[in-house]
Order: sequence, then structure tokens, then C-alpha cells
Amino acid sequence: MGEQIAFGLAAAGAIGSGILVITVRSAFQAAVALIATLISVAVLFLLAHAPFVAVIQVIVYAGAIVTLFLFVLAYLGERARRTPDRLARYQVFAWLVVLVLAAAGAIVLLTTNLARFNDAQSPSPELGSPQDIGNAFLKEHLLPFEATSLLLLVAAVGAVILAKRAVQSEGGR
Amino acid sequence: MTGLTVAATNMPTSSYLGVSLALFALGLIGVLTRRNPIMLLLAVELMLNAANVSLLGFSRHWNNSDGQIFALVVMVVAAAEVVIGLGLVVSIFRQRRGLDVDEMTELSG
Repeated sequence: MGEQIAFGLAAAGAIGSGILVITVRSAFQAAVALIATLISVAVLFLLAHAPFVAVIQVIVYAGAIVTLFLFVLAYLGERARRTPDRLARYQVFAWLVVLVLAAAGAIVLLTTNLARFNDAQSPSPELGSPQDIGNAFLKEHLLPFEATSLLLLVAAVGAVILAKRAVQSEGGR
Repeated sequence: MTGLTVAATNMPTSSYLGVSLALFALGLIGVLTRRNPIMLLLAVELMLNAANVSLLGFSRHWNNSDGQIFALVVMVVAAAEVVIGLGLVVSIFRQRRGLDVDEMTELSG
């Protein structure tokens, strides 16, 4: 029973703050609402037997990525925060796409005959522990692990080059 | 394992996929209707989180940690995407003193 309540609260928190992220006018408030979404989703991860992923979610997403957003918003100042209006011309098309997608997803959820889909789950207690994740990463999934490190290196070099160009275009060194 | 693991065995996989669908739809609305590139990136983060929720739901469904590995890789990709995206936003903002994806049309030929 406790799990259902925790799941319900976390799901409501994630969806409610997700609505805030896309509706508030100020980008600053949207970034703060995204933190609430990310922490609610971390609670969902904890309930899905993924404690390690939940901790990484809070540290990397809420701690680093959103902080980077807030830093850039503070750096760009008031003009960037004063967001332009919504895209009025294609609004109908956008809602049509989203409604079709949501309807398709709901049909799949309601008609699937995947085994145990609507039953209570009983995963093994070791699932998602740091030992489990570490073993899986370094024994079975070494190539994706190295590929992500290469991706991070490329992203870091790319960010430095972008920043350097921006400074040079203003006459700096 | 210590107290970190919450003994959750009650929620069915379908409830995780329902939350995932709702978050993904919200993110898609945000991407399709906003014009500020920073708001677009925030909405893309919502969609990536929706994908992670369903990956972890299925990881629990099959009692297999591969889905969790996938979710961690998605987080790394999201971090790289935000770094490059915000770098582009800053450099565009410094050159044209404004942010509106409708006005960025140099590449449209």
C-alpha cells in the first residue's frame, strides 16, 4: 500500500511540474520546475528497483545539467529570460500530433498482451544495485561505456571551440 | 543492499509506461509550441526522462539490468546535448542579441 501512495505522489509530482515546465513564461521558473520533475522521476526510479540510477539522476541531472541551464540564463540576462510568445501559427498542428501520439500510446497500453503487464512485479533484490550496474558495465557493456566516454570528450572539445569562436567574433583573443 | 532499496513490488509495468507516455507528450507539446531555444532544451529533457522511466519500468519487468545501463547512457547523451545546445544558444545570442528559433533561418537555403 505504501508503494502505491509513494508512486502516486511521485507520478503526480512529475506530471504536475512537467506541465509547469512547458507553461510558465519565464525560462528561469521553467528550469526550477524541471528540478521538481527530475526529483519526482528519481523517486519513480527508486520505486522501480534502480537506486543507483536514481542517485545519478539527482546528482547529474538536478545537480549539474539544470545548474548549467540556470548559469546560462543568469549569464544571458533579462532579454533571454523574456521569452518570445508561443508558436501561434502551427499550434493546431502541434496539438494534433500530440493527441494522435497520446491516443496511439493509450491504445497500445490498453490492448497489449505482454505477459504480466498489469500484475505486481517481484524483481530480485540485487537488481539495480551499484555492484550489479558496475558488473554489467565493465563485463557485458564495455563498448557502450567507452563510447560514452568518447562522446563526453567530443562534447567538451566542441563546447570549448564554440566558446572560443564566440569570444573571437567580439574581437577578443 | 541497505536501506536505499525500497521494496516496491506492487506497481505493474503498465503504470510506469503510463507516466512515461504523459511526460513524453508534455515534452512534445513544449518542443512543438515554444520559440525560445532554452525552453526547447528543457522540453527535450522532459522527453528524455520519459524514455528513461519506461526503460527502467521494463528493466524491472524482465528483472534485467540492461535497461538501467541504457538509462545511464541516455543521461550521458543528455548531458552532452545540453552542453552543446547551450553553447550554441550563447554564441547565437552574442551575435544577434536575441533568441527566437523562428528567426534562425540562415541554413534554410
